[in-house]
Amino acid sequence: MSTVIEARRPGVRSWLTLVGCEAKMVARDTAGLVVPVFLPLLILVMSARSAGDQVVAGELTALEAYVLPLVLTMVLATIGIINMPSFLAYYRRTGILRRLAVTPASPAMVLVVQVIVSVLQALVGVAGALAVAFLAFDARPPADLGAAVAVYALAMAAMYAVGMIVAAVAPTPNSAVAIGLLAFFALGALGGMFGGPGSLPDAVAAVGERLPFGAAVAALSAAWVGSPVDPVHLISLGVATVVGVVTAALLFRWE
Amino acid sequence: MSSEEPAIVAEHLHKRYGPKVAVDDVSLRVDPGEIFGILGTNGAGKTTTVEMIAGLRRPGRGSVSLLGLDPRRDRAKVRQVLGVQLQESYVHGALTVSELIGLYRSFYPDPRPADELVELVGLEEQRRVRFEKLSGGQQQRLSIALALVGRPRVVILDELTTGLDPRARRRMWATIERLRDEGVTIVLVSHAMEEVERLCDRVALLDAGRVVAVETPAGLVAQAGTQNLDDAFVALTGKQLEDVG
Repeated sequence: MSTVIEARRPGVRSWLTLVGCEAKMVARDTAGLVVPVFLPLLILVMSARSAGDQVVAGELTALEAYVLPLVLTMVLATIGIINMPSFLAYYRRTGILRRLAVTPASPAMVLVVQVIVSVLQALVGVAGALAVAFLAFDARPPADLGAAVAVYALAMAAMYAVGMIVAAVAPTPNSAVAIGLLAFFALGALGGMFGGPGSLPDAVAAVGERLPFGAAVAALSAAWVGSPVDPVHLISLGVATVVGVVTAALLFRWE
Repeated sequence: MSSEEPAIVAEHLHKRYGPKVAVDDVSLRVDPGEIFGILGTNGAGKTTTVEMIAGLRRPGRGSVSLLGLDPRRDRAKVRQVLGVQLQESYVHGALTVSELIGLYRSFYPDPRPADELVELVGLEEQRRVRFEKLSGGQQQRLSIALALVGRPRVVILDELTTGLDPRARRRMWATIERLRDEGVTIVLVSHAMEEVERLCDRVALLDAGRVVAVETPAGLVAQAGTQNLDDAFVALTGKQLEDVG
């Protein structure tokens, strides 16, 4: 046996297989699907009727200006901050990452694929929320669609980056869920999830608006009504992304 | 690679966890095609040793060469030729046996056929069962199948048959013998003397992180001057335990 040993990285087929497997893992985790898909829908259905009657500007109502940005941000936040870290913590705890470390697949592959699957999951949540909003409550599409999509992509990066911090610091799967929920509710509360920013003291609202949840809602809201997006919100999302990625890279443990 | 060149050379391996020395100057040479046993009491450093050989842990001191490669520096190459069954490892729990085998097959350029793997470890009836629903023994067998997916030239099996019923154990032994016939080098961490006696060409006996003997199973019995391997194991290990009380 004098064959030369070659290093071969797993190819496209392997990536696709892993995406399929991770997607099955997510789909079979019923509890994990309920929160990101149905919680935002619930908020939407509960507030859409009254919000739809409050005219904000022209033909736009509080539904487009406030409820939809909030609901879509919740989809991202629940998946990025609660679900993804709990999956990664579970993988680490049970030795799945370690097992993969002795195959040609690197555990980093799992990380990337988790993000891909989370994006797919978010798209399902977004599609569901938008379908209900458009079909049942006559919501209007964003005045500036390009800006809305760009803001949403940036918000997604920021939420996942926050989730990566949670995954990096949580010692157990249980604590990942706990830390993730705390982070979600803290960012959400400051970002106006329980009543608009108007109901918060000014100083608190100002802080919340500079954290990823509040910044995402505010920027998305601006894009929806067609007013210029405040750079402060974009910078906040960008900073959250960078801080999250760097922190996670420094602190992440494979086992 | 000439046939004399060893498959694995571990030299002066040391590993400590905090104040506790887990592995203390372990050196081993495993020949190609050999079934090499690693025996020792609980906490003797067996798992740490094989994890260093597999490149999962960085040795405090010392070096490892596997088919002439460094398991950490040449990680990508080593992963192509090394199959590992870890003691405490889990796979994606919600995936079925077939899905997991499919996933692990996708990692390698020329994997073993899925049917052959399933048959090798006797999980024909469980193909569509999720990993988390398998019994402990079945999970263990799947874990062994996954270690063999990539047609490895070297296989490390940590506790091959722990938790298996006698029938499954015999089946695993036949599987190991089949691998030996294919020329695969096997490192077997074991507690089961019957298994070691039947399968291993040579055995390293570890005690408190040190190698106390490297011998054929029969040689160990002779060295200890006992009737069987069980007694030899008891006679040659546990000195430290007795010293401490």
